[in-house]
Amino acid sequence: MSTQATDSFGLSLKQLGKKGHSGHSVRCMQGLPSSQVEADTSRMAIGFYALGSLDILGTVNTSTTDVDRQSWIDWIWEQQSSGVYGTGFKGSPYMIGEQDVKPLQLAADYSEFDTPSLIMTYTALLNLAILRDDFTRLERPGLIKFIKACQREDGSFGALPSGGEADLRPLYCAFAISSMINDWSGVDIDKAIAYIRTCESYEGGYGQTPYGEALGGTTYCALASLALASKSPSVTEHISAQHRATTIRWLSSIQQTEGGFSGRTNKIADTCYCFWCGASLELLGAPDVANEAALASFLEKCQFQWGGICKAPETQPDPYHTYMGLATLSIYNITKGNAGVDPSWNLPSLHVSWNVTDETAEWIRKHLSSKAGQ
Amino acid sequence: MSHVSGGDMPGKPPLYCEREDWSDIVPIPQYDGVNPLAPIFYNPEYKDATDYFRGIVKTGELSPRVLELTEKIIRMNPAHYSAWQYRYRTLLAVKAPLDVELRLMDSLAIHFMKTYQVWHHRRLLLTLLTASPSTATTSKPLPDAFDIATSELEFIARVLEEDSKNYHTWSYREWILAHVDDARLWLGELPYVDDLLEADVRNNSAWHHRFFVVFSRGGKRSGASPVEEAEVLQREISFTKDKISLAPNNPSAWNYLRGLLDHTHTSWGKLVVFVLPYTQLQPTTHSSDEVVDLDNPKPPAEAELPCAAALDFLAEAYVREGGEGVQKAVTLWKSLANEHDTIRKKYWEYRIKEALASKLV
Repeated sequence: MSTQATDSFGLSLKQLGKKGHSGHSVRCMQGLPSSQVEADTSRMAIGFYALGSLDILGTVNTSTTDVDRQSWIDWIWEQQSSGVYGTGFKGSPYMIGEQDVKPLQLAADYSEFDTPSLIMTYTALLNLAILRDDFTRLERPGLIKFIKACQREDGSFGALPSGGEADLRPLYCAFAISSMINDWSGVDIDKAIAYIRTCESYEGGYGQTPYGEALGGTTYCALASLALASKSPSVTEHISAQHRATTIRWLSSIQQTEGGFSGRTNKIADTCYCFWCGASLELLGAPDVANEAALASFLEKCQFQWGGICKAPETQPDPYHTYMGLATLSIYNITKGNAGVDPSWNLPSLHVSWNVTDETAEWIRKHLSSKAGQ
Repeated sequence: MSHVSGGDMPGKPPLYCEREDWSDIVPIPQYDGVNPLAPIFYNPEYKDATDYFRGIVKTGELSPRVLELTEKIIRMNPAHYSAWQYRYRTLLAVKAPLDVELRLMDSLAIHFMKTYQVWHHRRLLLTLLTASPSTATTSKPLPDAFDIATSELEFIARVLEEDSKNYHTWSYREWILAHVDDARLWLGELPYVDDLLEADVRNNSAWHHRFFVVFSRGGKRSGASPVEEAEVLQREISFTKDKISLAPNNPSAWNYLRGLLDHTHTSWGKLVVFVLPYTQLQPTTHSSDEVVDLDNPKPPAEAELPCAAALDFLAEAYVREGGEGVQKAVTLWKSLANEHDTIRKKYWEYRIKEALASKLV
C-alpha cells in the first residue's frame, strides 16, 4: 500500500502558478491591511519575502517599475541608522516623526527605544542586492560595531543591542552579514560556535536556545552559520560525525506522509519547514535524502487559487510562506529527469546559506564582499 | 469621566487626541518615506496611539499614564518592541508594583502566546522578582523565589492547557526552572510530564521536557551520585519501553530512547531483546503459560507491525556492532526502503550506501 503512495507522487505537476505568486508578492509590497499590524516593526522582512519571491520567479524587473525600485532602494537606505551601538537597519520608520526628517536624510541618531535590528539589517542587505544597488552608502565600520554590540556574553546574539531575547536567529543574521561584507571582526566566532553546540538537541535538530526542543528553523540557522564560518564548503569541521548523522536522520524523519516537512517531531507539515529542513539537508551535504517528489506535490497543493503559497493546503497565503515555498523549489529542482513535471517548476538555483538566488549572491560578492577594507 | 467619543460607535473608548488628560502631549505622526516598502494601512486607533507614543518618547516622560498607553499599543500590536522597552523603563521609574504587572501579563500571555516579546517581558519581571535581595516594588510582601517560581509553573501549566506544544511557553518554563534552580522545583516536573504524556503520548514537547529535566537541566548539575545516575537511567529506559508498548509508532518515544542511550553512552545492544518483537510482522501471541516479561513489554495485539522506528533502531544497533552487523542492518534498511517506510526510501538507500562505503575503508 505504501509503495503505491510513493508512486502516486509520480510526478505529473501542472504549471506552477508563477503569475499569481508574483502578483501576490507585488500586492504585499504595495500595502498591507491593518490586520497585519504586527509586522509594523519588521516591514523590511516582509519586503524581503516579497522581493525574494520575485527574484526567484525572475519578475523583479517586469512586475515593478524602475521608479518603484529606485524609491524602494532609497526607502531601505533611509532605515540605515547610526548611534551609540553603531550602524544598522531598522525594520521600518515606525518610530520616526514627520517633522523630524528631510527625505533621504533619515540616518539620524536613534534612541535607546528605537535601535536598528540584526534581523532587519540582514534582510535589508538582501533587498538591496535583489534591487541591484551598489552598496556605496553602507556604513561599514558602524555596521561592524553594531554586530559586536549585539553579541552576548554566552556567544549568542540578540536582534537588538539594547536587550531583548537572544538566540540562534540573530546569531545566524550576524554570521550572514559578516560573510556578505567579508569582514568577521564584529563576531567572536569561537564563542558563537560554542553557543551553537549547546543548542544541539538529543533528537538531532537544534533548539532555538541551549537545551531547547529540536526545531526546523533554528536547525537551519545553526547549520547555515556553521557553513558560513567554515573554510571548507562543508559544515562537518564544526560538528561530530555522529551528530551530523543524527541530524540527517531527524530531518528525514520529520518529512510527513503528506510530503511536506514539519518543524518538530509529531507535528504537521508546513511550507516554511520544507525550506528550513530541506535547506538543512543541503547544508549537511545530504539533499538526496529528501523525497523531493513528495515535497513538490505538497507544495503544489499549498498554492492558493488566486496567487501566493499557504502554510498548508486550504489555508491563506502570505509573503513568508510564498517565499519559503519557492525557495524550497529552488533547492530541489524536480524538473530534472521527471518528464511529467511542467518546465515552469524549473526555478533558478539558490545560495542556500545566504538564502538568496545564486545570481543575487554573485551580485553581493561583486559589490559587497569584494569591497572589504575599502 | 465624560469623554465624548469622536468615533461613530457608542461605547468605543475615545482616541488620545480626544482626551483632555492627554492634551498636553504633542502627537507626532509617522514619517513613512518617499515610497514605502510594504506600508500598513493602520486603523485610526493604532495610528492615534502610536502618534502619542512617539510624542511621549520624544519628551522622555515616564509616568503612570505611559503604562496605559503602552498597554493599549501592545494589545493592538504585541510585537511592538519599542512599546515593550519603554513600558519596562517606565515600570521601574514609577516604581510600579511588579506583582500587579505580572497578573496583567497573565492575560496577555494567553492572548498572544506566540509573540516573543510577551515572554521576554515576563522574564525581565521574574528576574527582578526572584533577585536576592530583591529590589522589586510590589503591592504585597514578596514571597521567596521558590514560591514565586511555583506559582509561575502553575500559570505556565494553564497556558499549556491552551496549546500543549507552544514553543515559547516551554522555553519559558525551562528558563525559570534553570534560573531558580531549586531541587524541589525539579522534583515536581516528572509527575507533570507524566500527566501530559498520559493525555497525549505523542506530545514531543513533553518528551523533550523530560529530557531537559532528567539530563540537561539547562546546564545545571543535579548532584546525583553514580549509583543514583544508574537508577535514573534504568527508570527512564523502563518508562520509555512502557510508552512504546502503548503506542509503538510514536517517533517521540523512540527519539527519547535513542537520545538517552547516546547521552549516557549506553550500549544499544541491551535494548535488542525489547525491540525485536516490534520488528516482527505479527504480534507474538501470549500463551497463558508464558511468563510475562515485565522488563520488556510486548506490542499490543492491535499494533501495526512491523514498526518502522523499531526496524530503524535495530538496524542502528546492528551497524554499531560492526562486522556481520552491517549486513544485518542493510537487510533491515532494504525492507524499510522497499516496504515499510517507502516515503523515506532515499534516506534508507543513503544509509546503505554510507554503511557499505565505510565498511570498505
